[in-house]
Amino acid sequence: MLLWHASSLRVWAVTTIVVEIMAGCGMVIGVGLLVPDISQTAALYCTTGTAVITLIMVGLIIGPQFIAQQRTDGTYEYLLGLPVPRTAAAFAWYTVCLVLALPGAVAALALGCWHYDLSLRVSPAVVPAVLLASFTATMLGYAVANAIERPMVTVILTQVVIFLAFGYAPINFPPDQMPHWLAEANRGLPFLPMATAVRHGLTPGFDNRLAESYAVLIAWAVGSALVAAIAIGRRR
Amino acid sequence: MATQPVTRTPAQPTSGRGSSLRIESLTKEFGSGVRANDDISLDLEAGEAFGLLGPNGAGKTTLVKQVIGLLRPTSGRILLGPYDLVADPGAARQLCAYLPQAAVPIDSFKAGEAIEIAGRIRGGSRRDVHRRAGELIEALDLGEWEQTLGMRLSGGVRRLVGFAMTIVWPCPVAILDEPTNDVDPLRRRLLWNELRRVRDEGVTVLLVTHNVMEAEKSVDRLAVIDSGRVVASGTPSALKVDERGRLRLQVMLPPGSDTPPLPEFVLRSAQSGHTLVAVVSEHDAAAAVDWAQGLLEDGSAEEYALGATTLEDVYIRLTGRVTADEDGLA
Repeated sequence: MLLWHASSLRVWAVTTIVVEIMAGCGMVIGVGLLVPDISQTAALYCTTGTAVITLIMVGLIIGPQFIAQQRTDGTYEYLLGLPVPRTAAAFAWYTVCLVLALPGAVAALALGCWHYDLSLRVSPAVVPAVLLASFTATMLGYAVANAIERPMVTVILTQVVIFLAFGYAPINFPPDQMPHWLAEANRGLPFLPMATAVRHGLTPGFDNRLAESYAVLIAWAVGSALVAAIAIGRRR
Repeated sequence: MATQPVTRTPAQPTSGRGSSLRIESLTKEFGSGVRANDDISLDLEAGEAFGLLGPNGAGKTTLVKQVIGLLRPTSGRILLGPYDLVADPGAARQLCAYLPQAAVPIDSFKAGEAIEIAGRIRGGSRRDVHRRAGELIEALDLGEWEQTLGMRLSGGVRRLVGFAMTIVWPCPVAILDEPTNDVDPLRRRLLWNELRRVRDEGVTVLLVTHNVMEAEKSVDRLAVIDSGRVVASGTPSALKVDERGRLRLQVMLPPGSDTPPLPEFVLRSAQSGHTLVAVVSEHDAAAAVDWAQGLLEDGSAEEYALGATTLEDVYIRLTGRVTADEDGLA
């Protein structure tokens, strides 16, 4: 099934990776244009946060829209009829989404470090953080795409997620810059924990509430995987 | 036959071979109150080709989706040997290969590659699947497109590739929903040839089709479904028993023309577009030809043909509707 998903996205893989790289690099440089005298701390938040956004965008947004398109043209039925365990199909999908997202995340980090003269101290902790953040985002997207019958609703919902992630989730900035109630709300949502876990693995000094972040992230990962499993296995 | 408990051992593609597919009192009612299938019971013997005929919206696709496990029946059972396909949709997918009515998602695949990957997913070895895919490509005359990406294939060729993907690695049951849609007449014959060969290898084929004429030559038995119910079932010959001693007169009318008044010897008729099909007694054959010739001479008809009644006439009698036979006059 890994071969199937990889092959089915092959034509779009290059485009997706290029778009991801451009989006990530554009965000990183764009903030510097908005705030010419950006501080090193802010630049670090922006750079590492952009890497997280780029990492999760494929699984959380592009993936569900791809599935929604297949539902619209009816081709998704063929996939649902294949003799592949749902867990294997989901894991294959996750693997492909991760591979497509990594180049953009790395490019954003590299450009940000060069442009803002940042020094990262990458630790092994970045590996589980990246894998878990990507897995959570992909399972969330997979759950949405399979739980919602109407493809147009899926597309609209993913647009809302973009809006929330960019505007109301403290990924590119510290949560204390938000209203307190919004910052508290984000502690229970997956985006802040994703950013905290990945940022901790990229550079020291950002381990505030790290254990809590991993706990929330794991809960979202398990929860969305369960919803996805139920949605895919559900017969109308 | 009593249903044995489903074991934890996953169903293997060979474990259902030689088993009959039994659909017992299957009913499917959607939340909107629409009863798409109403107490349908069918018995497919191992290794037979069974056709499902019926007008649009009759419930044929709904029926096969329940067999493959994409829809849950409201009531009833579906059994393949010892496997309860309603209780175990995973077994249904393992034991049944499915070609849906919609296109297969092969935009990014080369035609030959798609067939091989489908076979590998079904458990075939790389070498055996490669060999088998090559045989299918040759049998279906797809060599010209073997290296062409799916997004560049015509609808008919994609359909053939989808068909090949479904049968490349045989399962106990192959479910084909309108396999010949968009396929040209020449390659349709190749498809039906392959279907017969697959059936001869012991695969049970459940076929949904509108093409009554071709299905008549390819299926062992069939059921006519209308408004969610089976209105008739049996072999094509058995279904045509009531048509013995009768002939069909097919008349092509000019576009926009009115239906001409029908003579008394017409037993029944149906019209779809500008195709008028009338059933007459064989004793009235000469009169039927005279009448049709008269229509031709006064411009009320463009052409006509008189021949033996077919399964399509049974279909018309049972459903009151003419099938869309894109080959024109039979």
